[in-house]
Amino acid sequence: MEDRIIVTIQSVLEKRPEITLESRLLEDLKVDSLDLLMILSALEDEFSIIIAEDDFDDVYTINDITVKLKIRGI
Amino acid sequence: MTLRNFYNRFTVDKRLAEVTGHNPYYPIINSGLNEKIVANGHEMIDLASNNYLGLAADGRVKRAAVEAVEKYGVSLCGTPIATGYIDLFQRLEEKLSSFVGLQETVIFPSCYQANNGLFNSIAGPQDLIVVDRFAHSSLIQGIKSAGCKIRPFLHNNLAHLEGILQRSTGYRQVFVVTESVFSTEGSIAPFKEIVELCETYHAMPVIDDSHGIGVLGKSGQGILEEQAIEGYQGIYTASLGKAIANSGGMISGDKRLIDYLKYYCSHLVYSTALPPAVLAGTEAVLDIIQSEFGVIKNRMVTYQQEIYESLVDGGFTVAPSEAPINSIQCGSKEATFILAKKLYEKGILSTPFIEPSVPLGEGRVRLIAGANLTQDTIVEATKIIKRVGCL
Repeated sequence: MEDRIIVTIQSVLEKRPEITLESRLLEDLKVDSLDLLMILSALEDEFSIIIAEDDFDDVYTINDITVKLKIRGI
Repeated sequence: MTLRNFYNRFTVDKRLAEVTGHNPYYPIINSGLNEKIVANGHEMIDLASNNYLGLAADGRVKRAAVEAVEKYGVSLCGTPIATGYIDLFQRLEEKLSSFVGLQETVIFPSCYQANNGLFNSIAGPQDLIVVDRFAHSSLIQGIKSAGCKIRPFLHNNLAHLEGILQRSTGYRQVFVVTESVFSTEGSIAPFKEIVELCETYHAMPVIDDSHGIGVLGKSGQGILEEQAIEGYQGIYTASLGKAIANSGGMISGDKRLIDYLKYYCSHLVYSTALPPAVLAGTEAVLDIIQSEFGVIKNRMVTYQQEIYESLVDGGFTVAPSEAPINSIQCGSKEATFILAKKLYEKGILSTPFIEPSVPLGEGRVRLIAGANLTQDTIVEATKIIKRVGCL
């Protein structure tokens, strides 16, 4: 499941280093607010879910996103 | 909260300017956009302004503005819905509609207000806005204020856009928002294809042609002319403060939408109307474009190419540009400021972009050579650029 999340995120982040669970969104991947919206949209499509962006305001790493999705039963 | 604590919340982070020894923002300009601009008391070559056609200080445009001041004064001291809608206003709206080939136009005090007010007025929580990742802040802020679902798509990536449109069902209205010319890049949207996708998926296209109007197309009429988009049924916005060399913004499109905005868009209804001098100046620029665009555009394109070649010779990494823009890729914000500083010290005023105007770590320095500059000035600029590249 983690691999699926990483592949999905990689698909919308161009010109970025390799993504791992430990990658920090801001410091390592230079993710800004629009990138985050694009990531969440891609995850919505990949897992056929609807995400409230506010729930992901406090994510810091890729792993944080994974944890949030797992809590939702994915 | 005490008064002191309240005001202490508002601080400007000046570390970048201190580290690089340069603050490129708010230069004091002591002249018009002439052959040389006077910035902070120094004569410089202006490669910073958006004066593409070089008409901001054109004698004919200035005379039109002065004549309007003589007739109407400097302001009508009212919003367009009250006392601000002088006959010049109406005439210019008609001319702009005819220029871009759309049914009706409404003029705003700025394109920022136009873009903000537009989405506030036409979109809501039941709607989805799909927007290019690199869209201008005025579009993004306007979209965010509408309270609708937002899905950015990868810059100019039609496959990504189509994928999103395929999966976006159940909304009252889907909008697709992009710009014609992305001003920090010089890239141009494949808007004809975007319009076709919108037709397929019943989405409403919205184009901001701020850096395209007066620049693109055989007659300078902008993106719709450039890409031969016939019978455009979507929404069109543009700035009148770039190639059109005045100020203000416009929204054009279907008469029903424009009429609605004139009465319900608070960004328009509650803002003092553009002054007569600006309306007359804009009209004069449209007249010049209609009679001289071919000659002006040739000069603009030639200058852009000469600057581009000097940048390549100087060892800079320049974004491939389809517009009369040269965008130097600098990377970090520190590197971006330092390059702007080097150019400034050698006599060139440029425009540096750092986050949030561009993605993190993708700083750029933009150079636009207006068609008002002489060949001698362009030669001088290219020599400076090559020297700076060697530093």
